[in-house]
Amino acid sequence: MPRLLSTLLLAFLIAAPLQGQTQSSTTVGGYGEIIFARPNGGTASADVARVVVYLAHTFDERLAFRSELEVEHARIEAEGSAGEVAFEQAYLDYRLSDRFTLRSGLVLVPVGIINETHEPPTFNGVGRPAADHDLIPATWREIGIGALGNFGGGWSWRAYVMNGLKAEGFSAAEGIRAGRQEGQEASFAGVGVTGRLEWARPGLKIGLSGFHGGSADTNSAVGTGAFGAPVTVLAADARWESGPWTARALLVNVAVPDAGKINAAFGGTVAERSRGGYVEGAYDLLHLLAPASTARLDAFTRVEKVNTQARMPTATAADESLDRTIVTSGLTFRPLSTVAFKADYQVLRTASGVGEGETFDLGIGFSF
Amino acid sequence: MRSAILLLLLSVVAPLRAQTVAPAKVTASVVRVFGPGVRVDTLVTSRGPILRAVRGDTLLGFATVREVRGKDQPITILVAVDRSGRILDVDILIYRESYGGEVAYESWRRQFRGRTVADSIRIGRPIRNISGATISTHAVTLGVRAALDDLATLRRAGTLP
Repeated sequence: MPRLLSTLLLAFLIAAPLQGQTQSSTTVGGYGEIIFARPNGGTASADVARVVVYLAHTFDERLAFRSELEVEHARIEAEGSAGEVAFEQAYLDYRLSDRFTLRSGLVLVPVGIINETHEPPTFNGVGRPAADHDLIPATWREIGIGALGNFGGGWSWRAYVMNGLKAEGFSAAEGIRAGRQEGQEASFAGVGVTGRLEWARPGLKIGLSGFHGGSADTNSAVGTGAFGAPVTVLAADARWESGPWTARALLVNVAVPDAGKINAAFGGTVAERSRGGYVEGAYDLLHLLAPASTARLDAFTRVEKVNTQARMPTATAADESLDRTIVTSGLTFRPLSTVAFKADYQVLRTASGVGEGETFDLGIGFSF
Repeated sequence: MRSAILLLLLSVVAPLRAQTVAPAKVTASVVRVFGPGVRVDTLVTSRGPILRAVRGDTLLGFATVREVRGKDQPITILVAVDRSGRILDVDILIYRESYGGEVAYESWRRQFRGRTVADSIRIGRPIRNISGATISTHAVTLGVRAALDDLATLRRAGTLP
């Protein structure tokens, strides 16, 4: 009998302190980055690149809403300002089990590294890598529905169906970037499917991801059907860390086979194929200088290749100044894993020699 | 047998406490870590309830259930130690965040096994992080550290053998 009582007591003691936590709750967080850049021989500038408010509500153990509301460039004005206010994410998660969750709303396309994990303290360098701007148009989000889960052994996946792109926005320099609809009265004339398969173990994460979707929208000269004027993005990424060492790598290929038709319709010089990627290595100097410290001071170098004109439609010349090699070296001081003070020096070289330059950058980044 | 009784009792209690960590999850975790036939009772201590695991007349060890804070949701973990205070395993009982669920992977949790309160238990030294799950790996690691500290305090105070 005493055992029975103590067992009952156990049940209540475990249950009681956990109770309040799983009822509905609203939480606020955020992240941001403020940067300073001085181009060699140019004018220095500074910018509140972005401040993001993270707002989430947990309805119960299974249902949660999560969103990120971003202000870029500090402010917006009625006319002619660079600023932007936008939702980066706004979705509902419906957890059916520990291994399977339904997700719907404005979701991040799960391609590459930065697009999903973009909080400034998570990456080295003041600015995001160019491959995560001109090849994978981070922060890339569209309206969709899908699911995610894991199936043991370190494997996890995500898959969504979402609205397609709009070829009208494609450009020579930034590829498909301005073809994103970003949840603003998005046209579903084109449809996209996207997914990611990931394998992780301590210190290592490897991902394969892709997007395939139409971009013709309602322009029948460019293409017809849900997958008219298709865009296919394929990416492979890896992140590794061991003691003071960290490394990451990304490879991306963007195929727009109907680029010729798109250029005929909109007058651009979009490539049939864009490709690139980077390799980055870093060493935590505090591991040597102050082994007892929980802070990190990572010295890093990233070597990046981005070519948004890798294969051109017939009779269209490639702009070789868009075949870029970028080497970024610098320091990231992280007193905590969620706060970063950054400095780097970036050297840009191009295949044609046009548009080259060097920039010194400083930045702060935080997330909470 | 005893664990079956425990399970039965907990499943009777569970519906009364709808929005909690399912007691069956705690039971399953304890049985998984200490093996079948384990009998569990609860010690009420200054550091909260501590589960005592016994088989027959043999003390197997202790376990503690606690919550740590992830990005914005609590992560419910169980830390189980043997009678000498060595970690047998760490279990993620409930994970509620959208990203970072890799902390529940066996390959990550395995890093804690065999460690004691005297060892360094910190991300990077020697617990390895998983990229994209950094907030959760830090939170769980701090939680495990705190659990070992609590158990050591209770041992010093004579509450635990």
